Amino acid sequence: MQETTPRQSLSRPLIIFIAIGILLMVVFSMIPFDFFTWLWGRLNVFATVFLGIFVEAIPYLLLGTLASGLVEVFIDRGQMSKWISHRPVPAALAGAFMGMIFPVCECGVIPLTRRLFNKGLPLSAGVSFLLAAPVLNPIVVLSTAAAFGWGQMLAWRMGISLVISVVVGLVFSVEQDAANVLHPVLTLAHEHDHSHEIYASFGEKIRAALLITADEFFEMGRYLILGAMLAAGLQTFISQSTLLAVGSGPVFSVLVMLALAILLSICSTVDAFVALGFLGTFSFGSVLSFLVFGPMVDIKSIIMYLQVFRRRAVVYLVAIPFMMSLLAGVIFNYLQP
Amino acid sequence: MPKRLYRSFQALLLLALCIFFASKVASGQLAYYINLRFVPLTIFGIIFLAVLAQTMFTEIKRSRHLAVDDDEHDHEHTPASANLWFMLVPLLIGILIPARPLDSSAFSTKGFNTSSPLVGADTSAQILGADSEERNVLDWIKLFNLESDTSPFIGQKASVIGFVYFDESLSENQFFISRFVVSCCAADGFAIAMVGEWPQTSTLEQDSWVLVKGTVQSITLKDQVVPLIKAESVQPVPVPEQPYLFP
Repeated sequence: MQETTPRQSLSRPLIIFIAIGILLMVVFSMIPFDFFTWLWGRLNVFATVFLGIFVEAIPYLLLGTLASGLVEVFIDRGQMSKWISHRPVPAALAGAFMGMIFPVCECGVIPLTRRLFNKGLPLSAGVSFLLAAPVLNPIVVLSTAAAFGWGQMLAWRMGISLVISVVVGLVFSVEQDAANVLHPVLTLAHEHDHSHEIYASFGEKIRAALLITADEFFEMGRYLILGAMLAAGLQTFISQSTLLAVGSGPVFSVLVMLALAILLSICSTVDAFVALGFLGTFSFGSVLSFLVFGPMVDIKSIIMYLQVFRRRAVVYLVAIPFMMSLLAGVIFNYLQP
Repeated sequence: MPKRLYRSFQALLLLALCIFFASKVASGQLAYYINLRFVPLTIFGIIFLAVLAQTMFTEIKRSRHLAVDDDEHDHEHTPASANLWFMLVPLLIGILIPARPLDSSAFSTKGFNTSSPLVGADTSAQILGADSEERNVLDWIKLFNLESDTSPFIGQKASVIGFVYFDESLSENQFFISRFVVSCCAADGFAIAMVGEWPQTSTLEQDSWVLVKGTVQSITLKDQVVPLIKAESVQPVPVPEQPYLFP
């Protein structure tokens, strides 16, 4: 008897789905043919760009959620707070340096950071880690070096990202109560009911970690999909070429690159190759600001941030890196035009 | 949603995603979405999704053996079922909308270039080393961009593949031979184009893929000297296995 309830609750969305489908078909049959070809072209761009971001991001999201699952089962609650100082400056620095070890990009770092908070990581350390990890990790260092060589661009990218992540971490250290910043974590009964003694064997631990990975993959995947749809939608309807045409002058060109960083939503592990393409038309400073800001903030990461942090905190997470990247870009544009 | 049902859907969706990715790799359509440099990552993804799906299936089997009252306290703890519905979106988009690489319909928002802004690590020496008929659209555009004197290239044989794009800036017997350049995934793709000149241009169709053979000339468009191929032959070809060029 228990079986019938879920079936009923499932059939309702299905009926709504079919009804909407029929309605759409009726509406479409009344529209002239030209509009169709236009729409079909748009739809193709949308689908290709959306799946491009999705296919590219999924392996990274899997790695990030796996890291999070492993942290959950192998690190005891509160252990992080023993390892990392609670004084603001050392905590923020420690968070940023942790970012150098974990090879995660912006999709993967968000679930991992949330998990680390759960394990007692101080707020400022976590925020620094969140912003630093997508840039400072070894994969990004290598890909940036592959695109720009072991030179100034790499050094400044890493240096400025480190400064920004530590500064934002310090800003968050003012907040004493993490609950004001973070959303409470909704977890499966599984995770908090059983303490660690229950995962007796190593195999059991791995199994538990994989279950957590799967849950988090779906939870974060939802926001990745939303973000990728939004980014693909914007790319389908907002003209990038006019955006690039607007971008001249030491301040405007930086603003355009920052807007592009948000719009394109490219994974930080590969954005250096994309940035390389802009170097011909944009100044060093503008491209640098793209490389610094892009990994910290873009459409999909904003949507994923909103899942972990309260809205006010997300404003800080977006606005401070934005202002600092802008400032850095503009200063470079004036120093070496 | 009870946990057992949630887990079942999770398992099915993980399996579906795994099969979806695997079929894209097998059909070669993965090249429509990402730079093929990242295929190893996708393959890792496929394997990991399979492992997760397998873990889910064993978990469902195990929970069947456990006490029934376990279901009771589970009800309130399952994550939102909307998480599952969202995962259907990429699957539906991938299945319902026929896979096509980016084409000229993306030009209106993504724009296209006749001179490539790509410089950086590349030098013309690498491109010059290759036979002139081996160069692709991107190579030619880079060459015309990097070299101040383009006269050595005039008259060289060329053979390039691209899709046809008609533009008002060209005359009746000319068309653009276009390609998308993708560094990471389709999201960062941008189009480049060189000019083709052929008496029977009017028989060509927008967005159709062609192999253009002929000799290289130059033409000035919007104050830029860009490469033009005076075509001896223009053959229709199927969509290449790698529709995008990688910088």
